[in-house]
Amino acid sequence: MDRRTMLKAVGGTALAAALAGCSSLLGADSNQDASGGASDVPDEPIQAGLQTFTEGPAAVLGLQAQYGAELAVSRINEAGGIAGRQIELDVKHEADAYVENYTQFVSEGKEVTFGPISSGGHAALAPEVEAQGVVNVSTDGTVTTLYEETVPDPTYSFRFQNYDVMECVSAARETVNRLGAENVNTVAGINPNYAFGKDEWKVYTAALQKLTDVEIVYEGFPDLLADDMSTHITEINNQQPDVTFSSQWGGDVVTMMNQAAANNMFDNTQLVGTVLYSAVNDLSQDIVEQAQALSGSRNYYWGEPEPARWSPGQQLLDDARNQWDIIPSGHFMSGYGAVASWATATEKAVNLTGGWPSQEQIAMSLEGHGFFTPAGYHVMSERHQGLSTAYYGEMDWSSEIGAPILNDINSYSPPDVSPPPGTKSLDWIESW
Amino acid sequence: MRNRLPGLVSRDGERKVRVMRGLELTLRQTALALVGLLFLFALPDIARLLPAIQLSVLHQGVVFGLAAVGLNLLVRHTQLVSFGHAAFFGTGAYTTALLAAKYNVTEFALLLIASMLLATLMAMAIGYLSLRHTGLYFSLLTLAFGQLLYALVQGQTFFGSSDGLPVRPGPNMRPDIFGLALPPDAYEVLVYYLTVAIVVVSLLVMWRLINSPFGAALDAIGQDRTRAQFIGIPVRRYVWLAFVVSAVYGGMAGALYAMVQQHVRPGPVLYFLRSGDILFMAILGGYQTLFGPLVGGIVLVLLQDMGRDLTNYFDALTGLVLLALVFGFPQGIVGSLKKGGRVRSAASSFKNNPAVVGAWVSSFAESLVTAATQSVQNVKVLVFGVK
Repeated sequence: MDRRTMLKAVGGTALAAALAGCSSLLGADSNQDASGGASDVPDEPIQAGLQTFTEGPAAVLGLQAQYGAELAVSRINEAGGIAGRQIELDVKHEADAYVENYTQFVSEGKEVTFGPISSGGHAALAPEVEAQGVVNVSTDGTVTTLYEETVPDPTYSFRFQNYDVMECVSAARETVNRLGAENVNTVAGINPNYAFGKDEWKVYTAALQKLTDVEIVYEGFPDLLADDMSTHITEINNQQPDVTFSSQWGGDVVTMMNQAAANNMFDNTQLVGTVLYSAVNDLSQDIVEQAQALSGSRNYYWGEPEPARWSPGQQLLDDARNQWDIIPSGHFMSGYGAVASWATATEKAVNLTGGWPSQEQIAMSLEGHGFFTPAGYHVMSERHQGLSTAYYGEMDWSSEIGAPILNDINSYSPPDVSPPPGTKSLDWIESW
Repeated sequence: MRNRLPGLVSRDGERKVRVMRGLELTLRQTALALVGLLFLFALPDIARLLPAIQLSVLHQGVVFGLAAVGLNLLVRHTQLVSFGHAAFFGTGAYTTALLAAKYNVTEFALLLIASMLLATLMAMAIGYLSLRHTGLYFSLLTLAFGQLLYALVQGQTFFGSSDGLPVRPGPNMRPDIFGLALPPDAYEVLVYYLTVAIVVVSLLVMWRLINSPFGAALDAIGQDRTRAQFIGIPVRRYVWLAFVVSAVYGGMAGALYAMVQQHVRPGPVLYFLRSGDILFMAILGGYQTLFGPLVGGIVLVLLQDMGRDLTNYFDALTGLVLLALVFGFPQGIVGSLKKGGRVRSAASSFKNNPAVVGAWVSSFAESLVTAATQSVQNVKVLVFGVK
């Protein structure tokens, strides 16, 4: 593929190529390309704000999102900015102040905001974004009801990461693909005791029950950051379900898997999780090899698409390891992708309007916008929900990387795992 | 003839300003009250001039301050420390959110009244059950009931679980104020001024209450329960009443909080740390005063908000302020400014003899040295034992 073809593929500009991770394709004339000949573009840098968890237990995900956003911003700036405008990113701790953070950003004159990670925070924030009218692209905050009930007709509020229903339907399909429908007769769940955990369990079982004749034998909801999950593990050892589903994330994954290994739970059941891989930087070899768990990695896994066909994923891994000494997870892509979606859509709007677009014009060009990142191709759907391929694989240890990897990846494309426009998620699953 | 109308009166040769029956302020107090009132009314403009400060954050401070004023009735007069006042704050907030989200009630006044009613009922029940005990056991019981409510709300999808509930009723996406559907900016400012009006009235009511025979009886109960019982004060009933009144303030504050934030989640309104915050606000502002808790609320919320911009470890700020308070200003902000308070007496001794600064420095250094030697001594004892 030569440079011109590639540029065309990734959206036609140097910026789009940079964000897709094809920096090698950018020539010396990239600056000229990027400014796009727009006449009415301000000189000063674009002020952007990101709210994420920078401390506390949720920082396991929060910092990944921050690093991802920072990498995207630096790639944009290296490629000459958006229509010649550099981006300056201000990061704020999410805490419980989602709305305050956003209004503060707006009053400081930020042209775009990213985050939050928390789904409760996102539900609080989205209506405020609609009222204030400054585009917000959420990194996560993946609760399914957001664009189905909370803000059914959004204008300025967007979400990059795949939402819960996609994650759980993918998990159900993965379970059936790996084990075969006839081998999935009993299922148990250990999910975090808050809205996200309950939602994921509800959608996963609804989907799995449609695909198999499965029977639920146990459901346990340990609190977030619980330090003892042995009651749930003991119960699973007693029931020996074919599958144990878990939407635990970060430190809770480590606690659960360590205690499960200590009690030989992995001899009795197959663990399937939506975001087990979010603990990639904290799991030990012994545990990973015992568990042979099936895990999702949201919409990004650095080894997929296959590096031989698409090298940017691998490059992102190298960048993250060099700069921050981490294995990037799906949350790294949340930050990266939120910035990439806004930047590529804004540049498109600049080229169309010939000047700097208004918030409304940016919002309109984000709707239905398609773009590349190192994770592949993404669409920001008409309903403001990001749609991209979900990756699942068997978690194994790589001594070469020195961390868990996903083996034998299956990918699930959005139409297979998300409801068509206008249909609510559970109704859609009911209709299978 | 006694003057029954507000105005200037003369008492014991001193001119005082009569606000209402039983409330007569010296000229100095009047001036301070006016400055305070002016400050509250000017807050939206102050927020507009200073980009680092947001009206909604200041508003939150005033609202939490109101809850702290309520809690202070209990702490100051009956000497009962409640660790579960967020329960009433949360009840108010969730009543408003539930009515708005599930039953589409749009009227501001209706939401407020309903919240106060429910907080009253909740306080009657919780108060009845926890006031059988005093001291530590009372504190723990209130804590337990608070956590019970938190767990209940967190676990039920009806309450929106951990995602909480939006307060965006009607086509206008926000409550109507006396039938008026307002645009966002106007709504923000109007709700703020309504809050100020409510706070002023609440303070007057509280003032009247603690300066009534009932307030005196509460003081007596706080000083010695048994003796209060002996002189014929129905202790149980009075304490219960005080508990309910303080909870009504909490419920009112919670409803206003829901109206400002337009989204209520269990963590920020019901978690036990929030009860601690409310208690801390009262102490920070000076719990031996009427206005102290209000000032404490504004200061603490502002401190936490601005702290987030300065450092990731903003939670530690609260700890540092608490340390400074306990060691340096045990009477709190307003308490220290009062006659005989730390700041006032320091200022007057400075006026008499500016050289006193030298004495302050040396006494500070001395106490540091003493503390250091003491801790070295303690470590020695810990490591080598007593010889």
